Amino acid sequence: MKTILTGDGRTLSITPQTGFFKQNTALAMENKKIFTDAGIIAVDILGSVGAGKTTLAGALVAYLKGQKRLAAIAGDLTTEIDAQRIRAQGAEVLQINTDKGCHLDANMIKNAMDCLNLSNLDIVLIENVGNLICPSGYQLGAHHRMVVISVTEGPYQVVKHPHIFQDVSVVVINKIDLADVMEVDPQKLIADIHTIRPGIPVILTNGRTGQGIAELATALKLDK
Amino acid sequence: MHETAIAQSIIDTVMTHADKAGAKHVDKVEIEIGELTFLGIDQIRFWIENQIAGTVAEKAEWIFHSVPGGIRCPACQYEGDIKTAETEDHFRLPVFACPECGQANIEITQGRDAWIKAIHVEID
Ligand SMILES: Nc1nc2c(ncn2[C@@H]2O[C@H](COP(=O)(O)OP(=O)(O)O)[C@@H](O)[C@H]2O)c(=O)[nH]1
Ligand SMILES: [Mg+2]
Ligand SMILES: [Zn+2]
Repeated sequence: MKTILTGDGRTLSITPQTGFFKQNTALAMENKKIFTDAGIIAVDILGSVGAGKTTLAGALVAYLKGQKRLAAIAGDLTTEIDAQRIRAQGAEVLQINTDKGCHLDANMIKNAMDCLNLSNLDIVLIENVGNLICPSGYQLGAHHRMVVISVTEGPYQVVKHPHIFQDVSVVVINKIDLADVMEVDPQKLIADIHTIRPGIPVILTNGRTGQGIAELATALKLDK
Repeated sequence: MHETAIAQSIIDTVMTHADKAGAKHVDKVEIEIGELTFLGIDQIRFWIENQIAGTVAEKAEWIFHSVPGGIRCPACQYEGDIKTAETEDHFRLPVFACPECGQANIEITQGRDAWIKAIHVEID
């Protein structure tokens, strides 16, 4: 910070220049280091309300639980419903209620990490608040960010929200069973995603049957 | 929601500095908003103007600058703007890849933060 007094000595120019997201980003880096040092892979799951984030987190738990020790952190405005749904699949789950917050932030994750026994875990799945806008600005310290879109959101979800894809490592197109009824062509969604992020893995899933879950676990490097 | 939080942070920062400097008035505040933050400048302005009545910043001029997204390519060292591309349906989308060599693993260097560039206050 610099403070400059003008020539006539009557006005001051103060230049704080501290980024509003800086503290969160720094804390996210600390979280990531803690996860990494504990040998944990953390995944931040983004997507609209109803896209299938909880269903897919549950499906990943069901698929991996024999070989990996999993926990999940579920973010929602209120209720414990999602935590219970993932817990039912066989993982330890913490619910974070953000009250009115539209996203999780690194500090909430840090607090949640304090409640988990990290030395007993291999994978932590973090379900972010259902929102395709705000969570993007707040890194949590996960190794992967995955965005879940579903065909029920229509054919223009990708072109309407291109920026959510800026730093994700895997994209899921869920509810693939409903593509025909919704008259949504998944290949077109893939082409749109690849325009924004050439070459990024895009996995087609049916969260209810488990179709595509093995492929998703591989894309996130969770099954190694 | 997230605009209200940023607006409140801006107000808190301005008030803290104005107070420390013993300011009589805040004349002007310059704010930079990265285009990759999703923050709506009009909403932030609305929230600030809603909150500062009766304070030393009541008559301040709030100037917002938009900072474009920038990337760096580790393969060919390109550093610059994010280019856009048109889809089959004629939508223009940002391309998070190197416009020079096509490298997909690029680093985002600019546009993901927001900050106060300067607070101009009158002290006498
Ligand atoms: N038909 C179909 N329904 C699904 C699929 N995945 C999730 N659902 C349903 O979509 C609804 C919302 O899913 P949920 O996981 O709660 O979404 P979230 O808000 O993103 O966590 C639930 O009723 C799920 O059973 C899928 O692949 N196909
Ligand atoms: Mg959910
Ligand atoms: Zn390049």
